[in-house]
Amino acid sequence: MNLHCRVNEKEYDLEIKPHMTLLDLLREELGLTGAKEGCGEGECGACTVIMDGKAVNACIVLAAEAEGKEILTIEGLAREGTLHPIQEAFVEIGGLQCGFCTPGMVLSTKVLLDDNPNPTEEEIKKGLEGNFCRCTGYTKIIESVKVAADKVRG
Amino acid sequence: MKTFYRRLPKFEYLRPGSMEEALALISGKEGSVKLLAGGTDLIPQVKKREVPVPAFVLDMKSIPGLGNITHHHNGLSIGALATIQAVGADPVINERFAPLSQAALQMASPQVRNRGTIAGNICNAVPSADSAPALLALGAEVKLESRRGARRVPLDQFFTGPRTTVIKEDELLTEIIVPAQEPGSRGVYLKLSPRHSMDLAVVGVAVMGTMENGICKEVKIALGAVAPTPIRAPMAEALLRGNRPTPELIDEAARNALTQCNPIDDHRASREYRCDMVYAMTRRALTRIFGGTR
Amino acid sequence: MEEYSVIGKRVPRIDAKEKVMGEAKYAADYSLPGMLWAKVARSPYAHAKILNIDTSKAEKLPGVKAVITGKDFNGWTWGFMATTRDESPLAVDKVRYMYEGVAAVAAVDEETAEEACSLIKVDYEELPGVFDPEEAIKEGAPVIHAYRANNVSVEYHWDFGDVDKAFADSYIVREDRFETGKVVTGFLEPPASLAYYDPSGNITVWAAKQSPYFHYRHLAGCFGLPLSKIRIIQPFIGGGFGGTKNDSVAGDFCVVMLSKKTGRPVKYVYTMEEVLTTCRRRHNMIIYNKMGMTKDGILTAIESRVIGNGGGYTAIGPLTMFLTGYATTLPYKLPNYRYDAWRVFTNNPVSAAMRGHGFTHTRFACDIQMHMIAEELGIDPVEMRIRNAIDNPKPADGYSTINGIKFKTCGLMETIKAATEDPLWADRDKMVKQEGPVSYGVGITGTTYQGGARQLGHQSCGAIVRICEDGTINLITGATDCGQGSDTVLAMIAAEVLGAKYEDISFKRVDTAYTPVDPGSYGSRVTVFAGQAVERASRDAKRQLLEAAGKAWNVKPEEIDIREGFAFLKDKPEKRMSFEKLAKIASYEGAGAVILGTGYSSYGVEELDFSTGTGNGGTSFSFTTQTTRLGVDMETGKIDVTDFTIAHDAGVPLHPVSVEGQNEGGAVQGLSQAIYEGFIMENGRTHNSTFLDYKMPRSTDAPRIKVIDIITDDPDGPFGAKEASEGSHVSAPPSVVDALHDATGIWFKELPVTPEKIVKALKDAGKWMK
Repeated sequence: MNLHCRVNEKEYDLEIKPHMTLLDLLREELGLTGAKEGCGEGECGACTVIMDGKAVNACIVLAAEAEGKEILTIEGLAREGTLHPIQEAFVEIGGLQCGFCTPGMVLSTKVLLDDNPNPTEEEIKKGLEGNFCRCTGYTKIIESVKVAADKVRG
Repeated sequence: MKTFYRRLPKFEYLRPGSMEEALALISGKEGSVKLLAGGTDLIPQVKKREVPVPAFVLDMKSIPGLGNITHHHNGLSIGALATIQAVGADPVINERFAPLSQAALQMASPQVRNRGTIAGNICNAVPSADSAPALLALGAEVKLESRRGARRVPLDQFFTGPRTTVIKEDELLTEIIVPAQEPGSRGVYLKLSPRHSMDLAVVGVAVMGTMENGICKEVKIALGAVAPTPIRAPMAEALLRGNRPTPELIDEAARNALTQCNPIDDHRASREYRCDMVYAMTRRALTRIFGGTR
Repeated sequence: MEEYSVIGKRVPRIDAKEKVMGEAKYAADYSLPGMLWAKVARSPYAHAKILNIDTSKAEKLPGVKAVITGKDFNGWTWGFMATTRDESPLAVDKVRYMYEGVAAVAAVDEETAEEACSLIKVDYEELPGVFDPEEAIKEGAPVIHAYRANNVSVEYHWDFGDVDKAFADSYIVREDRFETGKVVTGFLEPPASLAYYDPSGNITVWAAKQSPYFHYRHLAGCFGLPLSKIRIIQPFIGGGFGGTKNDSVAGDFCVVMLSKKTGRPVKYVYTMEEVLTTCRRRHNMIIYNKMGMTKDGILTAIESRVIGNGGGYTAIGPLTMFLTGYATTLPYKLPNYRYDAWRVFTNNPVSAAMRGHGFTHTRFACDIQMHMIAEELGIDPVEMRIRNAIDNPKPADGYSTINGIKFKTCGLMETIKAATEDPLWADRDKMVKQEGPVSYGVGITGTTYQGGARQLGHQSCGAIVRICEDGTINLITGATDCGQGSDTVLAMIAAEVLGAKYEDISFKRVDTAYTPVDPGSYGSRVTVFAGQAVERASRDAKRQLLEAAGKAWNVKPEEIDIREGFAFLKDKPEKRMSFEKLAKIASYEGAGAVILGTGYSSYGVEELDFSTGTGNGGTSFSFTTQTTRLGVDMETGKIDVTDFTIAHDAGVPLHPVSVEGQNEGGAVQGLSQAIYEGFIMENGRTHNSTFLDYKMPRSTDAPRIKVIDIITDDPDGPFGAKEASEGSHVSAPPSVVDALHDATGIWFKELPVTPEKIVKALKDAGKWMK
């Protein structure tokens, strides 16, 4: 079947299988492997992408459901190699270890800060509750989000 | 042989442009169509072959008008496609139908709340569905439509067992209708789970109640994860109704609620623990609403 | 301590930019033209004979290119020791745990491979299974491996001092049964492997391995090829924590065999449920612990009888049982010690290594038991720790335990001081004790873990420092960063020694065809061993640079130093040139030179003796004191862990960001084993095999964590480094359980302590909902 959508500000007209997930589409058809498959059932958040401004688990969204949608993946966040302030904050604070959760964590942070530019620690934790991290114990991720909020507010 | 599937099985994807078209599509294909709203339950279930592989997946999101949350003088209407997040974030729901918004915001994660729907949570019909006790305590009904016509079913007659409901194969749940609550009524949904978020309820308790002159005028108690379906506790309600909700009476009502339960013993909790928690959490919820007035 | 230019600074991780941009490629992110997808078909029985396998239907499915079974591996088996090689890539005659791999398929796409698996027909004869290790060692229990008719896979009996006399002379002796949980590492990246066995006889693999050289040896053995023909290319690794990614699992062998059969590249990606039911997990251990003390709370003797639930195969079990016993003589002075251990085969998934390997079980038992005795004797638990703690020895003297563990630095006493002076402990009586139904408690624990672990076989690390003519540097090692930050630390060491800028170091990940052979990432060994290799390789390169600079300036090389990107005369620092210029001079001098520095590690060349329990498992030991504050809802049992303070002696924290991150992450993983995680098993079946039900902590479950560095500057570590993360991982469970006791008045001896267990214990004690 046919699919028309925008990914990282680029228009796509694609022929897809109806039983393909959005994650399969991004990773295997478009070569955007930044979104990871951890659990494949919407529990871990490693596949988080932003669809029409909202964080979603790409592993449980059908590619077909992206019809007419605007999708932002981690590859679309930095501009010509210049990191987004959220990415800068994660680098500076060390809010990452193995990096597998990082793309999803960064995108969840983006949606969190888009909706609430000055979150409390509790709001940060709640905003990231859908993203597993096994390495950091979350401490440095939460700190990264605080620093990111400062940077984004300017 | 056991296979751990990573991929979805092959199916056809249907995208009807109208309710008529949708009803026509499902009426001819009994048993072979799965309805897709948010997909947060359906897609993992199909991927893991927990449900029979459907020949067709019908995406309801192309049907216009199903995503609305409408407030009117006699209550609230939640369209089948209204997301958990939209319901959780609605300020009027938060003010007047508090158990529902509390349940919504305690469900899963932002990613799931952005896609999943309250209607889907109800239709999936697991005993632990968070929105079910909230909606039961609010006295909600659902509207089911088919080519044969439309019908309304009170939610306490909707669930027939774990993962089963009264929905016929040619029907669509199009709307959840919540009646206006009594002026001055207060409500709460308490969820108990081991983790602080992204977890299933071991026990969920919703209470909606009204006090007048220190007397419990009206109360509804609903429980999740403690019986084959989400349930009301009518005998416990009756104990309270028309009486002064003293700590002793609240304790008695909470113990009574326990007698209404028939929880399973599984890897998530023992039957004994779930029963104990029905008592503890019901007492806590009732105290929250009625304040244990002497 | 010397003032360093790079060491000890909070530089950004060397891999941070790639990771935040989503550009870091993991094994599943790689694809090759013509690639096939593999899938493993698995047994639905926990213990059964395989009578017949019919693959004909699967082979006929359009898109299927090959189907293999256990027989294709010609009887090859692997395992930790020559005498314990009892596992084959796919089961041959018998399956020994539920969902063990039986056959595998390669097809043009993954969904076809999956469909083909469901068409494979296997005739089984189901056998009675045994799942509880204490049942499995009883006479008449079903036999799992013919070569171990009593189901005992590994057995040790060690005895030091005079334990019986010590107990007889003790004022108090306690005996308790402890049990640690059935838990898993919980990395987020499912194992994946992409392999190409080219028809000329070379194997190239991209695989999620934290110790790729183990896999390299396994593949050479399995396919009968020389090591030089095995090329493992190291992608980024999405978390390791030991076990699965330190070993090879069914899919890893099947992709290579299927590639050999088809002549095409083959890829396999595990599902998370497959990981949680078929991959390696930590041993669940039953510990009968007996501890004696004097009236003053001085330790007299410990006897530990440990039964490890081994699962269907031996894997690394001999080392696990060694580590579980040998370090009980730390971190408190212990004059008499006896250890009897049995690792037992059961029809469960295979138990293996995990972060805090071995130590975590006995430290939990000993720490809690020590507090139980403190309570009985009426001695303050901190005072008891101080009375028994090993002091920091003079490095020249060192310290030796009764079983011969030797080390040169011990900051235990300082960690106790720091942790107990921290407000979390010092002000505990001023903090809220009760708030509605929530009772608060504070706990304290002390532990040790080894840095620079060694086991059997090859132990050394190597490094190559290649100076590019523009002054930038390629750092080549065989070490793997699976998230812990070792690439960053190794680059910092190179920059520090060379006097180069950290930003000019480019770290090259493992490619077994080009990088030095290396044991891998386990036992907190990378910084110590690979770090020493990098230090030496950097000195070697620096020597060559200084010689070139000496020639250029017509002075002796000793008169010159290099720091922060400049070479300069020590006596006249204004005489200087940039590292870039120096590199150019060195490279183009005369007919031209190639500046390559090489080095390898030599710490810890010592043998372990598994049969006597002697020898050094590590080159150095970290010491930790951890305090925990938590609240327990006394009606529901729900626990909210609010704070950790971790005073940790990591020697010298080379990269403080990583040391903190390791301690924080290790502690939360430990917390989780204390209260959240545990497989629920029934007849070999794992009931909670998804992330929904296997409850790893979320952001909302994480406590505030304060890490206090205790500096001891160990001579057996590069720049004084020891270990971080395994200590805090081992200290967290007893610390949480001690805090639970403070909050509830109840000692919990089985992990995890779930809300349900708490309510049951409160009910039994008559303390619930009164």
